[in-house]
Amino acid sequence: MQKILFSPVTRLSGLLSVELSVDQGTITEADVSATMFRGFEYIMRNHHVTDAVYLTQRICGICSMAHGAVASYLLDQLYDNDINENAQYLRNIMFGADFLQNHIRHFYLFGLPDFVIMPNQPPFLSQNCTDCRLNQKDNNRLATHVTEAVKAAEKSHQILALFGGKAPHQHSFLHGGVAVPPTVDKITQALALIDDIHDFVNRYMLPDTELISTCYNDYYHIGETDGRFLSFGLFRFGNKNEQMLWKSGVLDDGIVTQPQLELIREDIARAWFERAKWLDDGEIRPAPYKSGAYTWTKAVLYQGLHHEGGPLARMTINGLYNGGTSTMDRIAARTLETLLITELIKEWLCKLKAGPAPICQKKELVRNQAISVTDAMRGALLHCAQLQGEKVEKYDIITPTVWNFSPKDEYGNRGPAETALIGTEIPSSELKFVIPGRIIRSFDPCISCATHILDARTNSAVQLKHYFLSRLSTLSQQLHNSMTTGDIISYQPIWVSPN
Amino acid sequence: MEKVDFIKLCQDSAKANNHELSAKLLPSARQYLLEHGLGKLPVIWLETNDSGDNNIAFMNTTYPYLNQVFRDMIDLLYSNTFMAAQGTDALQLLEDTMNHYQGKFTLVVEGAVPAKDGGLYNVIARTKKGPLTALDAVVRLGEAAQYVVAIGTCASFGGASSAAPNVTGSVGISQVLKRQVINVSGCPVNPDWFVGTLAHLLMYGPPEVDELNRPKLFYGATVHRHCQRRSYFDNKEYAKQLGDIECMFSQGCSGPRTGSDCPYRQWINHVSWPVKVNTPCIGCTNRDFPDGSAPFFSPLPQKTTSHKQQPDMGKERP
Repeated sequence: MQKILFSPVTRLSGLLSVELSVDQGTITEADVSATMFRGFEYIMRNHHVTDAVYLTQRICGICSMAHGAVASYLLDQLYDNDINENAQYLRNIMFGADFLQNHIRHFYLFGLPDFVIMPNQPPFLSQNCTDCRLNQKDNNRLATHVTEAVKAAEKSHQILALFGGKAPHQHSFLHGGVAVPPTVDKITQALALIDDIHDFVNRYMLPDTELISTCYNDYYHIGETDGRFLSFGLFRFGNKNEQMLWKSGVLDDGIVTQPQLELIREDIARAWFERAKWLDDGEIRPAPYKSGAYTWTKAVLYQGLHHEGGPLARMTINGLYNGGTSTMDRIAARTLETLLITELIKEWLCKLKAGPAPICQKKELVRNQAISVTDAMRGALLHCAQLQGEKVEKYDIITPTVWNFSPKDEYGNRGPAETALIGTEIPSSELKFVIPGRIIRSFDPCISCATHILDARTNSAVQLKHYFLSRLSTLSQQLHNSMTTGDIISYQPIWVSPN
Repeated sequence: MEKVDFIKLCQDSAKANNHELSAKLLPSARQYLLEHGLGKLPVIWLETNDSGDNNIAFMNTTYPYLNQVFRDMIDLLYSNTFMAAQGTDALQLLEDTMNHYQGKFTLVVEGAVPAKDGGLYNVIARTKKGPLTALDAVVRLGEAAQYVVAIGTCASFGGASSAAPNVTGSVGISQVLKRQVINVSGCPVNPDWFVGTLAHLLMYGPPEVDELNRPKLFYGATVHRHCQRRSYFDNKEYAKQLGDIECMFSQGCSGPRTGSDCPYRQWINHVSWPVKVNTPCIGCTNRDFPDGSAPFFSPLPQKTTSHKQQPDMGKERP
């Protein structure tokens, strides 16, 4: 048996290492190790609760709008705001634009060098090209598409900044609505930008994904997970953010059920945390010297089991993707989602009415605790706050990468990324980083996001159980009447998994 | 182009708001390098404790676009975010670059450095010899670099990563280095500030800096000084709520104590900035961000930290 230390795993947000055990050419054990910790939940404490939208965006650079959005939903509950239709269109346009930015950058800047030989100059030196399979003409064509991708991703952030003031860490998507008036000039400018991005996705990203998925079609069977998917739903509408365009769900053994947040449990068995037993609150504390631990990410479980999130989970649960659970399925679903979101943004921009800033912030808190969820780019995201007056007493966050890059739990069950690595064949030592790198990146890991702490035993999620249960049942009723557009449902990608 | 003309170009183009800084900058830089027989800047980029927002901000650079910066301005030899190499191949490149470009490379650090518990809260890479912490890497590479650039507020001053109660003991990189560090602060950085600083290093060496070691040409005046809504402030017409068109001082604006050219420069191909979307500046370039700006929506006199030493709001900063 051979140990492989794969560190650093480059081309992702944050810092990640993976330790692999390989026996007779097959991966038999994998430890995914997030090697950074910032402790954002501690930072949120004692802040005025309205600081949450701007401050939590600082958790993550590549998905900042997701934290801004879920914190705004949380504050909408705390203040009982009413959100008008125009505000919801504008919010979703901004949120969607950040998805496009993320997906385009992930595919071209992070993922492409896994499959395409890049020019032999910085930052592409020492690329391992052992298993690059495109013919020279196709290869060189795809390598030049990075230039177009850089522009398309920048244009995506331009849409976000046009309405949000800047990106990352926009300013106008706040509780109560959006502080910027959607004037006709801004709408026109955004329409022109989304037109360019849509064109880019159709001309480059779709065919490029198709070509890679054809040349590397063995990856439809490499990096498979157990197929337990979780999504908190995406793109909220309604006066109280109660409707979702893409529904939430837990997919287990082929059956989709509604997520119940009280079934979420966290586990610190293999993470660098310890429970301070001598303290009344039994809070967990960072413990960088803890033996047997190997990551700053805690294990997060739903009904005692690890679950995978991201575009593949979202699209599968919503019946928009019918394929497997492999590396290439994750990549294909992400590209497909990119196309769908460009079309949605176009549609929303057409429905957006020019007018004053659609914002109305109530001043009095009606609750002292709340929990809010959404899907972010890489999967399910949860924020949860408990207040003392107007100040944050506790603020808990579970990010998507915590789900996907969960370490083993106390029983030794592996998280999705670890599961995907197990059983993978490494036919030669030249491929010891190449193959695991492709599998890992297909999850679009974001370690800056992942390494936060949530104490499920003492946190307010448990106390919020009843409140949330009632909310979820309302949600699930409305989900049946959720707004979906016909052309999305009927869309069939041509390269979906052969099985 | 002489240095004085270069600085004038940067300042004028920001004020004219005609988006031409980078469009003019790139050909000038290329011309200069050609005439002086200089190569590109060899760069090692370390990501430490931050959100990764500064590499995303850097990807948003326009004229030059990201690929043009790689082609014409810098040789990015190590970067966790961008490099094709991975695992030990990546670490070998780091080692080779350090040896080959000893005293000649530019170290860019994105993120604060956790100093507590031997730096174990941020490990750049795990090696057979043990963890390579951000603390080790920044100290070792910082000593060997020609220039050290802190990109973003975390690397410059600790930023959000060092916000109270700072359980990881995070600090800005100048706290662990005994040498000059050029701070290009912002949460995130505006790509123009960073690419402009790189251009200055390429063409003229280190730029003139303010008391916080930031390039004066980007941070020399306060947001308040150049704000489009200054006339509202002068007439005491304050916004009643977010979304209003009047002065944002009442909504918590930190512009009077924040050095940055946001009102002229603006963000993402220069389309907007926070006050333009009817929200306050939250002082993200400041040494005490975010703690000194909180609560973000409370007027300056009511912030948690008292700002006794803030500059006179009507006057130019020194």
